[in-house]
Amino acid sequence: MEHARHVFRAALVLAVATAVVFLGRSLLVPRSYGDYGPYRADNVAEQARVRAPRHGGPASCAGCHAKQAEVRAAGSHKTVSCEVCHAPLAVHVDGTAVKGKMPVDRSFTLCARCHRRIAGRPEKFKQVVLEQHVQGPLESGACLECHDPHSPKL
Amino acid sequence: MDHARKIDGADGGAGGAADGPRAPDGCAGGVGRRDFLAGVLKLAGGAFVIVAGGAGLASTGEAAAKPGEGYDWNEHRYAYLVDTEKCIGCGSCVRACRAENDVPDDFYRTWVERYVVGLDGSKVDSPRGGIDGFPPEQTAFTPTKAFFVPKICNHCTETPCIQVCPVGASYRTRDGVVLVDGERCIGCGYCVQACPYGSRFLSPRTHTAEKCTWCYHRITKGLKPACVEVCPTGTRQFGDLRRADDPVRLAIERERVQILQPHLLTEPNCYYLHLDKEVR
Repeated sequence: MEHARHVFRAALVLAVATAVVFLGRSLLVPRSYGDYGPYRADNVAEQARVRAPRHGGPASCAGCHAKQAEVRAAGSHKTVSCEVCHAPLAVHVDGTAVKGKMPVDRSFTLCARCHRRIAGRPEKFKQVVLEQHVQGPLESGACLECHDPHSPKL
Repeated sequence: MDHARKIDGADGGAGGAADGPRAPDGCAGGVGRRDFLAGVLKLAGGAFVIVAGGAGLASTGEAAAKPGEGYDWNEHRYAYLVDTEKCIGCGSCVRACRAENDVPDDFYRTWVERYVVGLDGSKVDSPRGGIDGFPPEQTAFTPTKAFFVPKICNHCTETPCIQVCPVGASYRTRDGVVLVDGERCIGCGYCVQACPYGSRFLSPRTHTAEKCTWCYHRITKGLKPACVEVCPTGTRQFGDLRRADDPVRLAIERERVQILQPHLLTEPNCYYLHLDKEVR
């Protein structure tokens, strides 16, 4: 009789310990953890909708700015996305509603970022030594006096 | 009889040191302590195996996860291709990444490096990750070649960064993207140190690890990563190895592509065309 009581006590301790472990585990480990590996599987979907895409690509601009899009597509800047010189689409529109003014950078630094002659650029790529290329002071708008940024070839 | 033998054993304790203290092997029809404990341990072990096995079966039986509506991650396996001969170092990619992913100031998920190399030396620079382009360069040696190399997380197949994460915050998706679960990350920074490419950083805002996600919020909607979207020269390309006619897949299959630091056996999924030996 006494032995049975010993067995019962030990079994009770074991049962309680097991229950504590499983209860603790279920509280501490996230629901989807381990579904596909040692990580929280729900995070994959969370990452996919972490924010709405902010860049829309040239096609998203062409909807409203068909003329500029046409000029760009026909010119030597056809591979340069609108958002490279302006800003991401999300700055300008939210869905179909205009949200803010799209920045227009007319400074020569905008052009220089790609076309100033520096070490590292491929030889074939069109580059200028600014000091030789521009007569007079290098001020804002200097490049745009001669070049149309949407189709810069003269 | 048994009882008598037990007492004998106890009495001869000093002399019987060789066979050690011996548990009574059965007293009055009960179970000895040693047998009992051994039995309990076996039972507990068996129960653990059954429970753990059951949990494992339950998890593998779950339906396929859908990162986005109508998106199945088993149908994609992404890869990135950089043609270093085309890069002009304009930094559009770095600016686009910042705008798209709200990257904290002075931290970079992608950046551009400039290598100026001569017979007598070489110099690498990346002023602010190349976000404002590059200034003219002065070197003490005579440069014989110079080129730009865009860098990004390599989304390795055998990732050092995931291996060291103590809390399971870093993982690789089935479509081949290495991501960080900001909710689980404790900001210990092990992964930042483990990455041989320097692709990770601890965000000063969230104090958790951050890195390039290949714009997972874009690619799961069929868009390209922002850096690829704005690249004016086609230096950066993004592709899907599960599509037979994908240009990136064809380039990897047919061209002589290289990866960064192949000796580390991390199996990067960013491939480079026309890479110079100077690049690490």
